[in-house]
Amino acid sequence: MKLKEIDRTAMQAWSPAQNHPVYLATGTSAQQLDATFSTNASLEIFELDLSDPSLDMKSCATFSSSHRYHKLIWGPHKMDSKGDVSGVLIAGGENGNIILYDPSKIIAGDKEVVIAQKDKHTGPVRALDVNIFQNNLVASGANESEIYIWDLNNFATPMTPGAKTQPPEDISCIAWNRQVQHILASASPSGRATVWDLRKNEPIIKVSDHSNRMHCSGLAWHPDVATQMVLASEDDRLPVIQMWDLRFASSPLRVLENHARGILAIAWSMADPELLLSCGKDAKILCSNPNTGEVLYELPTNTQWCFDIQWCPRNPAVLSAASFDGRISVYSIMGGSTDGLRQKQVDKLSSSFGNLDPFGTGQPLPPLQIPQQTAQHSIVLPLKKPPKWIRRPVGASFSFGGKLVTFENVKVQPQQGAEQQQQHHVFISQVVTEKEFLSRSDQLQQVVQSQGFTNYCQKKVDASQTEFEKNVWSFLKVNFEEDSRGKYLELLGYKKEDLGKKIALALNKVDGSDVALKDSDQVAQSDGEESPAAEEQLLGERIKEEKQEFDLLPSAGGTFNISVSGDIDGLITRALLTGDFESAVDLCLHDNRMADAIILAIAGGQELLARTQKKYFAKSQSKITRLITAVVMKNWKEIVESCDLKNWREALAAVLTYAKPDEFSALCDLLGARLESEGDSLLQTQACLCYICAGNVEKLVACWTKAQDSSNPLSLQDLIEKVVILRKAVQRTQAMDTNTVGALLAEKMSQYANLLAAQGSIAAALAFLPDNTNQPNIVQLRDRLCRAQGKPILGQESSRIPYERQQPSKGRPGPIAGHPQMSRVQTQQYYPHVRIAPTVTTWSNKTPTALPSHVPAASPSDTQGENPPPPGFIMHGNVNPNTAALPPPSPGHMHSQIPPYPQPQRPQNGWNDPPALNRVPKKNKMPENFLPPVPITSPIMNPLGDPQSQMLQQQPSAPVPLSNQASFPQPHLAGGQPFHGTQQPLGQTGIPPSFSKPNIEGAPGAPIGNTIQHVQSLPTEKITKKPIPDEHLILKTTFEDLIQRCLSSATDPQTKRKLDDASKRLEFLYDKLREQTLSPTIISGLHNIARSIETRNYSEGLTIHTHIVSTSNFSETSAFMPVLKVVLTQANKLGV
Amino acid sequence: MVSVINTVDTSHEDMIHDAQMDYYGTRLATCSSDRSVKIFDVRNGGQILIADLRGHEGPVWQVAWAHPMYGNILASCSYDRKVIIWKEENGTWEKTHEHSGHDSSVNSVCWAPHDYGLILACGSSDGAISLLTYTGEGQWEVKKINNAHTIGCNAVSWAPAVIPGSLIDQPSGQKPNYIKKFASGGCDNLIKLWREEEDGQWKEEQKLEAHSDWVRDVAWAPSIGLPTSTIASCSQDGRVFIWTCDDTSSNMWSPKLLHKFNDVVWHVSWSITANILAVSGGDNKVTLWKESVDGQWVCISDVNKGQGSVSASVSEGQQNEQ
Repeated sequence: MKLKEIDRTAMQAWSPAQNHPVYLATGTSAQQLDATFSTNASLEIFELDLSDPSLDMKSCATFSSSHRYHKLIWGPHKMDSKGDVSGVLIAGGENGNIILYDPSKIIAGDKEVVIAQKDKHTGPVRALDVNIFQNNLVASGANESEIYIWDLNNFATPMTPGAKTQPPEDISCIAWNRQVQHILASASPSGRATVWDLRKNEPIIKVSDHSNRMHCSGLAWHPDVATQMVLASEDDRLPVIQMWDLRFASSPLRVLENHARGILAIAWSMADPELLLSCGKDAKILCSNPNTGEVLYELPTNTQWCFDIQWCPRNPAVLSAASFDGRISVYSIMGGSTDGLRQKQVDKLSSSFGNLDPFGTGQPLPPLQIPQQTAQHSIVLPLKKPPKWIRRPVGASFSFGGKLVTFENVKVQPQQGAEQQQQHHVFISQVVTEKEFLSRSDQLQQVVQSQGFTNYCQKKVDASQTEFEKNVWSFLKVNFEEDSRGKYLELLGYKKEDLGKKIALALNKVDGSDVALKDSDQVAQSDGEESPAAEEQLLGERIKEEKQEFDLLPSAGGTFNISVSGDIDGLITRALLTGDFESAVDLCLHDNRMADAIILAIAGGQELLARTQKKYFAKSQSKITRLITAVVMKNWKEIVESCDLKNWREALAAVLTYAKPDEFSALCDLLGARLESEGDSLLQTQACLCYICAGNVEKLVACWTKAQDSSNPLSLQDLIEKVVILRKAVQRTQAMDTNTVGALLAEKMSQYANLLAAQGSIAAALAFLPDNTNQPNIVQLRDRLCRAQGKPILGQESSRIPYERQQPSKGRPGPIAGHPQMSRVQTQQYYPHVRIAPTVTTWSNKTPTALPSHVPAASPSDTQGENPPPPGFIMHGNVNPNTAALPPPSPGHMHSQIPPYPQPQRPQNGWNDPPALNRVPKKNKMPENFLPPVPITSPIMNPLGDPQSQMLQQQPSAPVPLSNQASFPQPHLAGGQPFHGTQQPLGQTGIPPSFSKPNIEGAPGAPIGNTIQHVQSLPTEKITKKPIPDEHLILKTTFEDLIQRCLSSATDPQTKRKLDDASKRLEFLYDKLREQTLSPTIISGLHNIARSIETRNYSEGLTIHTHIVSTSNFSETSAFMPVLKVVLTQANKLGV
Repeated sequence: MVSVINTVDTSHEDMIHDAQMDYYGTRLATCSSDRSVKIFDVRNGGQILIADLRGHEGPVWQVAWAHPMYGNILASCSYDRKVIIWKEENGTWEKTHEHSGHDSSVNSVCWAPHDYGLILACGSSDGAISLLTYTGEGQWEVKKINNAHTIGCNAVSWAPAVIPGSLIDQPSGQKPNYIKKFASGGCDNLIKLWREEEDGQWKEEQKLEAHSDWVRDVAWAPSIGLPTSTIASCSQDGRVFIWTCDDTSSNMWSPKLLHKFNDVVWHVSWSITANILAVSGGDNKVTLWKESVDGQWVCISDVNKGQGSVSASVSEGQQNEQ
């Protein structure tokens, strides 16, 4: 299709391939007069700007010349690779002159643009060519058989290729060989072509078909084959192109007879030797394959002849043709539509007629209508054969799992005669770039498998480069040791034995012994050399032994110091912090602080109190009232919330010592949060330590991510190591629901899995990927990994894909929420489905408490109910290496492969989640080929059940003790009666009932009969619950109604998710209402909130909410109050 | 380290022009000047020919897998001016749609991120880019951008669906108001960025100029959650540029020269994690590039016949920096 037009009757030369942008030089043709019969001549340069869709060529420069031209070429002489405008324009003139122009000067508009001029030839110089190997060599041809070789570096005297051919004739064409630099060919209208060898300085061969009709108008060497050339004939009687091979010079190798009349010009593409352009007096421009003779393309032209045709050296799809109608046209051979051309014609007409009122009639012309029919002809087809330059020979593409797919098409020189068979191979390679990352990931996996956490942490401590890193690992390590709270205290700088010594000394000192004082110092010093001081240093900053006064006036909201100095106060503090009441009382007594002594003694027990009371008569002041208050009142929240952050260690120590298990985590969290939000950058990082104590993985990740860049693989590895270890620790010690994966952690873990996958470690990636979350990106990644492993996927593919199989229909172009259907692959899981119940928990060395080890599903007959095993059972075998010998679930048994139970669809967010039962999704997608289980009618063994799956069901009771972890089925408890049986004994052993809260969902001792019953009644779950008392029903309806209102006006999915989640979590409240376990104050408060919701006064609701939270027992309300706050806040925000 | 784990003898009878793995990396699609498209199962180092798809009447330049949520769908484009969409139904691959809306060779096909639905962008030597959107019941709606690149569009590549930087805020990827964008490169030496307007029309958003010859390929890097967009481009001029744009501040794209090769560079491909770029050159060489800590692009491997070693310089450099 035509791209550009210039209205000139001119010879043309493209800028060399190196040049950018592409220029086209035109020089007024000597042979043709244009329509104006003007004899003026000019040399012009145009720029080819393809980003401009118009047909106009941008004119860069015009130089008025005294010459008209027979030939114009643009050589790259002295042009650098940067493609600055340079090179040289070489023109052949009318009177034997050859003129060299500097195109850069023409473009710059200089007056002096001629580099040199020689008038050595006789007659017009019609033939010019630049040697492509030595571009300073130019050959020229004119009349009288004159051929000169010019050296542009020494232009004065030309050389000749040899003796002139006889008889003298015009030289119409000249061409350097494209393969051998010293070979030159010339041709004349007589039909003879001569090949010269410049080394021999003589013609080596003459080519002629002796027909006397070959009237040579064109000559071109084969771009690739040194011995081949084509000759074109201008004679209408023989309008042919002959292809010659000099090795068989007796007759043409091939004759192309595609033109009806004489050929005026030819051009052989340097970019593709199968493309030869020719234009003739039949007004055709053809592109043929000279190697076969086939016409590949006929350019749509007007009826005018073209006398010159040129390929653009830089843009191989572009050519230009100069025609006798005074026009140079630039074409693309790639086809396309000529709409642009029509537009130009229309524009031209418009501009000719000026303002559409050319005749001053006052009547504008009607708008021009483009005839519709032209649209039919506007499409120009491309070449029949794809040109070489669009045939991509090589490629490399990455694919999932760090694989690189490459192919190459190595050029094989075609052997004479026999075509060599080319191999068409595609290589799939594994690319591994992060070796250290992989090896560390391997280590981590091994540790998890071998359970050698303590050693691993120790190694990490030893290898730590920074104090902080060392601390983190030390804290993590403690999780796996006995007496973890005690060890934490040691890490914080509190060691009981040492404190004992110090207190003893202090007591002596008070008795007035100077010697003792010295001793004390010495002991303190020697202590300093021992572990406590070392530990203190380990914490990055030495605990200052300076005296810190407590704020005596308990100003509201102010912070106070917890003094740990070496004097009496400090010692009392230390004693208190380590729970050593007796010493503390003694100290108080010695310091005449009777009130303190008494108060402490009350907390210390009857016995101590009695002893202290004896000495109560003396009084003394106290500087640590608040600390004592806190100890006595057990109000550690106060300490944590209001202590000076510099004393975070002391606060943490206090919490470690005193906090009840149920509030311990929350208090650590709180302290961590304070450090994070209020502290400076140093303290912020220390928050990580609090989160480790709290076992709060999610917050650790958040805090860590804030402080550290985890974008590169190794720092992500740093984070993941800690996370995995902490999760293991939490799982071990705190009986938390380790299945929970928050958004941030999930994000990091999937990032990690992605990285592993990208390094080809698909199996490892799968192992690290959180298992039971339905965050779409994770579910999708899991599915991708599973399939990438190359294992055949069981069942019908469509049912297991994590995306809704979509036949997209109109109106549903938006994103599609996936219904996760996890493909389970036998692999080591870091996120076991099993719930872990604590067996031995040592909150502090004072209260070592053993929880009853809950052997799940006490008797096999119970578990063997007809309910197929929940997924946890299957996974359990994988979690516990000791049970690895379990027969793997047979692929044929759907029961063991796909849990027929609906999986919980929401991530389980931990201890304040509502019971799992309530979250049973109704929309769960079943595999298409899966038949729903036969309705269960009685809790007896299913006679149809296959033995293997039954065996699996029985297994869990056996392996439990081996792993030192109790495991039990996925919970199917109604919220109604969660294991009262287990709660009782717990209370008696001194553990507050709330401690076992995490177990409420997955109650270890849940009556199995119940479980089955609930399983049976899954579809009608609510019937099994006690009804909410009528008087409280209003709460449920109000809250649910509010959530619905919020949902309908919420727009962003995040809020919707929050609300959905809230709605589910509030089930916990409803369950409490059913059980009637809430205190009257809370109930009335809730009713107040409900009333304020009725009146749309959400801020009032929030105030009441705050009041309830601040006055009630944390553990009683923590499951639902935060959620309620979320709902209220949202409602307030949305204004529903 | 680059090690060949599978050598697939495609039995193509002419040059191979493209080879692409599916979403899972278990199936390989190849296309060739022999006018055929082939699909192989390459799991576990094997090679099983699943389909030999005939239908094109010219060399087939590119193949592209659709996201599996739409089923097993492959698009191919050819010199015959056609785009064919192939689909596997009950284990057999068949032509499901043929698009012949171009007047010249169709050089590139690329599926939009799956979040948008089934949309295919096609770049052609006729200078136009067409966008095929599946509207259900076997119907495809066509939108065409005429004169996108004068004398030819060589490559199209979609921007990832995730608005960079929003990964953490929108973990579920359910943000409904995506701005659809793609990049194209052509024979006008330009890279152009296109975005869909609210009225569904495609508008040229930006022109990126740095190449001095045909842009052979463009590749929009996958999003890794950073608030920057990255595009790699390669050209006939031997240059490979990395274009980056800070999404948060402006719409300014700045190029960085990765390398100037001595020959045409045909293809660029990002790794899934967007940290490695594979560059395929006219000398039949494939090189892998990675950005070092100081922002320089470093060649970490020369791949010959699928094999090569990765220099450790970059990762070591990173460690030293830390």
